[in-house]
Amino acid sequence: MHLTHELELFPGHKVTQMLFKEVKNAAELRQCAVEGKINGALINPTMLVNPFQVLVAANKAVNSQNNGKMKTRSLYSEIIFNLSPTNNISEAFKRFGCSDGDDSVLVVFIHNEDESQLLADLTARVSGRQVPVEEVSSLTDHAKVKKLYKVTQEEEESGTLLDAVVCRMAAKDVM
Amino acid sequence: MALEKSMAAIPEFLSKAELLKQGAEARVYRARFLGRPTIVKERFRKQYRHPLLDEKLTHRRTVQEVRSVLRCRRAGISVPVVYFVDYSSHSIFLEEIVGSSTVRDHIASSPPSARCEGLEPLAERVGQVLARMHDEDVIHGDLTTSNMLLRCGPEDGVSELFLIDFGLSYISALPEDKGVDLYVLEKAFLSTHPHTEALFQRLLKSYAAASKKSSAVIKKLEEVRLRGRKRSMVG
Repeated sequence: MHLTHELELFPGHKVTQMLFKEVKNAAELRQCAVEGKINGALINPTMLVNPFQVLVAANKAVNSQNNGKMKTRSLYSEIIFNLSPTNNISEAFKRFGCSDGDDSVLVVFIHNEDESQLLADLTARVSGRQVPVEEVSSLTDHAKVKKLYKVTQEEEESGTLLDAVVCRMAAKDVM
Repeated sequence: MALEKSMAAIPEFLSKAELLKQGAEARVYRARFLGRPTIVKERFRKQYRHPLLDEKLTHRRTVQEVRSVLRCRRAGISVPVVYFVDYSSHSIFLEEIVGSSTVRDHIASSPPSARCEGLEPLAERVGQVLARMHDEDVIHGDLTTSNMLLRCGPEDGVSELFLIDFGLSYISALPEDKGVDLYVLEKAFLSTHPHTEALFQRLLKSYAAASKKSSAVIKKLEEVRLRGRKRSMVG
């Protein structure tokens, strides 16, 4: 159901993603996240194309933290910031963070030990149905993603939407 | 939750990766990154340079390479996807184009007798892709048949042509720069693949037909040929 990947560059750092649908308490979750009670990032899955996108953002966040070069205040806010194609932090939160009215949420957290306890804690908090993370592609709002990332017509024809998104995320600091 | 920090994360990772090539500028590795086959291009420190200058140059080249790749991608040119860039080690993590071979190998392995005719479609495709790239004002800087990959599509599918290694690339609208870019390819092409003048002519014809700004570029190419080596005599 959940997806865990150990970052090759940072052994011991595991990235776990969980996806929930039919979420009833998005507002409460968001509040908990803001207060720091949830040890994870809450992402709006309609802006995601594939779990790989989250991995790319998480890897970059851990790297930035390692180098002392994070642009935001915490590792989790950094992940959300990395998903955004722009450098405006509050805009990133608005678009990629979970909002009060959302009915689905993707949770990502980074840990170095066995995740079962963390999974259980999170599942208890979320009032929704957990589904396999791969299902995130069925929630994607393609039109919104294309517009936000400014994906061109030619790009769509020669590669996948995921390619376009990941490339922009990786190249954000220099464009 | 305290997570251990290590400044040497990437060098550590690369020390265990497979080294493919070592050039004067960078080392190229193959590894698995975020579960995908990846090529890592590491521009290492040059001890012979003044450290400040080295940092500036290396950083600038890394940035230019990433920008050019993204610019090409936006224009619909097949280039590897950039997964991650680390500016402290000047490493670029890109998609490995699996199941591909270089255009160089492709041309070299085709029978010499049928060479020119059989490879015409390829030459036309290359001309079209380069035209697209130059119309986006991207100068590759190191056009050779080793920097072009062909990935076979499904059974009856068309194979995809990729451009790689944008390490010497930059953005320029000048026909001189585009002419020199083509000249570099011409020299590399003819020296690597003897007796393929007709094939290269096909490439140029296809380029001229596909590019909106080609006449000025072809004119410059002819001028550069007369002058000799890679110098553009502008400013």
